[in-house]
Amino acid sequence: VNRRNDVLVVDDDADMIEVIELVLQDAGYATRSALNGKLALEAVAIALPAVIVLDMLMPVMNGWQFAREFRARYGGGVPIVVATAAEHARSRSEEVDASDFLPKPFEVGDLLRTIARHVPAPPPPNTL
Amino acid sequence: LDDRVAGVVPGGIDPKALPDLTQRAYSAHRVAGTVTAVFAAAGLAWVILTDIVLYGISHDHILIARIETAKGWIFIALASLLLYAVTFRSAARLDRVRRLTAAIVDSIADGVLLLGHDRRIAHANPAAARMLRCRLEELIGMGAADFSIRFRVTYPGGGLVPPGRFISQRVFEEGGPLNHKITLHPPGGGALVISATAAGVHMGVGDEAMWVVSVMHDITESEHLERLRDQFFGAAAHSLKTPVAVIKADVQALLPGAGPKHRRVAASIERQCDRIDRLVQNMLVLARARSQTLELYPIEMALRPLVEQIAREAVWSYRHQVRTELTGSPSIRADQERLALVIRNLLYEASRFSPAESPLTLVARPEGDRVAIGVRYHPVSWRDRASETYGDYDDVGLGRSVAETIAEGHGGSLREETTGSEITSWIYLPAESGANA
Repeated sequence: VNRRNDVLVVDDDADMIEVIELVLQDAGYATRSALNGKLALEAVAIALPAVIVLDMLMPVMNGWQFAREFRARYGGGVPIVVATAAEHARSRSEEVDASDFLPKPFEVGDLLRTIARHVPAPPPPNTL
Repeated sequence: LDDRVAGVVPGGIDPKALPDLTQRAYSAHRVAGTVTAVFAAAGLAWVILTDIVLYGISHDHILIARIETAKGWIFIALASLLLYAVTFRSAARLDRVRRLTAAIVDSIADGVLLLGHDRRIAHANPAAARMLRCRLEELIGMGAADFSIRFRVTYPGGGLVPPGRFISQRVFEEGGPLNHKITLHPPGGGALVISATAAGVHMGVGDEAMWVVSVMHDITESEHLERLRDQFFGAAAHSLKTPVAVIKADVQALLPGAGPKHRRVAASIERQCDRIDRLVQNMLVLARARSQTLELYPIEMALRPLVEQIAREAVWSYRHQVRTELTGSPSIRADQERLALVIRNLLYEASRFSPAESPLTLVARPEGDRVAIGVRYHPVSWRDRASETYGDYDDVGLGRSVAETIAEGHGGSLREETTGSEITSWIYLPAESGANA
């Protein structure tokens, strides 16, 4: 895993994970995914990602619980981008001390711009 | 108690003997005057007629004196009988009215509390006792402070209602009728949501309230249904947003390799995704507003970036060019997410009611102590008759209603202005003021 541009996508919707990973991988990012906060904690224990895209309403361990546990264990070094379909995405992101937020549904361009604010976009493969 | 609840007057009353409450009240002075006049006339007639007869048949002074004394006793006896009859009739009538009034109050399905001039409960009906899960006797004489302790009266949000803020107390000073929604927590059961109304009983115009009638309507069940609906909308909105987000992202992910035809189809899918998303948000706001749980999260925000961002959104470029007219750099304190929904709703309305390819103009400017945000467009000829076809609550009507609700929630307003052939839908928001919803 290239930790400099590794994005961890945490969402309970497999299709949402798939399309976010597809878009980010096309943009040159490395991605990993987890279906809930508990699996995400297991993933970050292996290697810290460069940024975490976090859904809030998830089974087993939701976004609030994950963020609290993650910050307690690893501090605030890794930016969290809250991507939620819930109302008031901004206040939801403030509740978990997130670095950014992305209300669903979102534009792919907004997703890329938001991630790029925290992890510079890698050069596309065909330009290497 | 059960007989009373069923509307039976205790003691039984012949319905024909009941006073017709729809008739104008008769004058007590007139009745008393009539009775006194009849009594005086009858007494005078008795004295004169018996004297004429007596002096006609006898000239014996001793006999006349004895008969005069007997006449006096007879007069006293007859007057006493008459007084008894009149008093009995009046007292019986008053008792019937009192029992009828009590029976009417007792038969009301809502809880009724009558408060006397000392602001304590003077009478309560059985429905009130059932609602409050206590005996009627326990309520009589209870003051606001005791009521507050016994039934823990709270606002729907959870805060305790101070006894002095009970509408049954406020109505003595403020007049009425007043109403509010409260939650009661009677001992030995679940909480009750009550819609309460209090009104003063005045004996004359401008008089102080002698009594206060407080009616408690149990809306626990309907409130529960409202909450369920609210939860349903919340859950449905979240559930709908996720697939819409996936579809939209999927379509956008396909675009880089798509040809012109597929791009057009993809753009159409995106537009419909945005439309569904906006509809879901509108329905959610409407549900929240109806259940009085709409919350706004105002932040200090510059208007220019938001307006420019919405103007650039691809959803409008399908049929229109969206121009912006921004004066200065107005900033407001508003819920950005909700304000964006308002502007998109008005833009969508303008888009629906204007010819294809015609320009839409987004205007934002400071106006004194407020900020005006407008959407200007050339309407189609059938705009004013659109509701005949689509109804008042199609997605345009819903959007306008939500826009008005959110604007008012920010302490602002929504209005429309026609200038020549153009219409502008304006929302006015207080500059730098907080939201109050």
